[in-house]
Amino acid sequence: MVFIPPYVPDAFLSMYLPAIYAGLIVGFIGTMAIALKREEIHILILTDIVGLAMIFVVSAVGTDLAEALILPGLVVELAETLAISEILLTREMRKIEQNPRRNLQKTSSMFPQPFALNMEILNTAPNFIALVLIGYGIFLTGFTGGAVAGGGIVFYALSKKARGLPVLMLDGIAGVSGIAWCLWILGFLLFFVAPQYWLLSLFLAACGLLLKVASKVGLIGLLMREDFDKE
Amino acid sequence: MISVPLFFYFGIFLAIVGSLATAWGPGVNDPIVRTFNTEVASIGVCLVLLCYNHVLALLTLLATTVVISLILFRAIIRLEEMGADV
Repeated sequence: MVFIPPYVPDAFLSMYLPAIYAGLIVGFIGTMAIALKREEIHILILTDIVGLAMIFVVSAVGTDLAEALILPGLVVELAETLAISEILLTREMRKIEQNPRRNLQKTSSMFPQPFALNMEILNTAPNFIALVLIGYGIFLTGFTGGAVAGGGIVFYALSKKARGLPVLMLDGIAGVSGIAWCLWILGFLLFFVAPQYWLLSLFLAACGLLLKVASKVGLIGLLMREDFDKE
Repeated sequence: MISVPLFFYFGIFLAIVGSLATAWGPGVNDPIVRTFNTEVASIGVCLVLLCYNHVLALLTLLATTVVISLILFRAIIRLEEMGADV
């Protein structure tokens, strides 16, 4: 017997079991492939598939609760992927440092080589597209707005040829992140202390999350600019 | 007239086929090919979210998929430059 909350739309009732089974199948495929593979980068890519299975199972609920659970899941998965890829790169650098003779035989280097992205859209349209994405992200607020605005920042950072980032700017982004946490915690506290100001606390939390996620995703773009756009 | 079950089951089909292609598909020993195959599965998930009316989840999935594939490409390119066996 399955307990069905009264506010689940009737149209979603028949979609529950197929979605759950599809999620289980996709998750099984992903975990089996992870068990069979040795190389870490392949395992990192396959973790993405397991994350998709998670989205299937959560979205089968079909209410607003599902949406509210998918959003942080996606953003946390993004942060995990970034952190694990950095760890992989650092480990590989350490391996090469410990055994430099192996490094000398092949044509390999510890430092990234120049890699030019000569796409027309990166020269002509970056300002407009980044502005549209950031504006739409600010309009959306919350996790979604943070991801969309962050995508705009990534695009802008990728398309600009300047290299290097002053330390002051990195500190500034970290400061924005701290302020965003404070806004979020303040909104959460106000929600319980003074429930009549729920709209204010909702907007505090939403704008805090927007700043937090957008600045984090923007940092990814600045990281990538260090690698890709070198002269 | 849009048939929702058609989109729903096609999304499930795409997700399962995409994850199979990512796991054991042709040419997956190249990590770039594996990353591209992940996109097929994520399009399937997008269709399922569309059927469930989860607009915000759909938008977030699109944005994070783009950024995740950029991160993975960066990691793959750096690892290959360093001469690691990928």
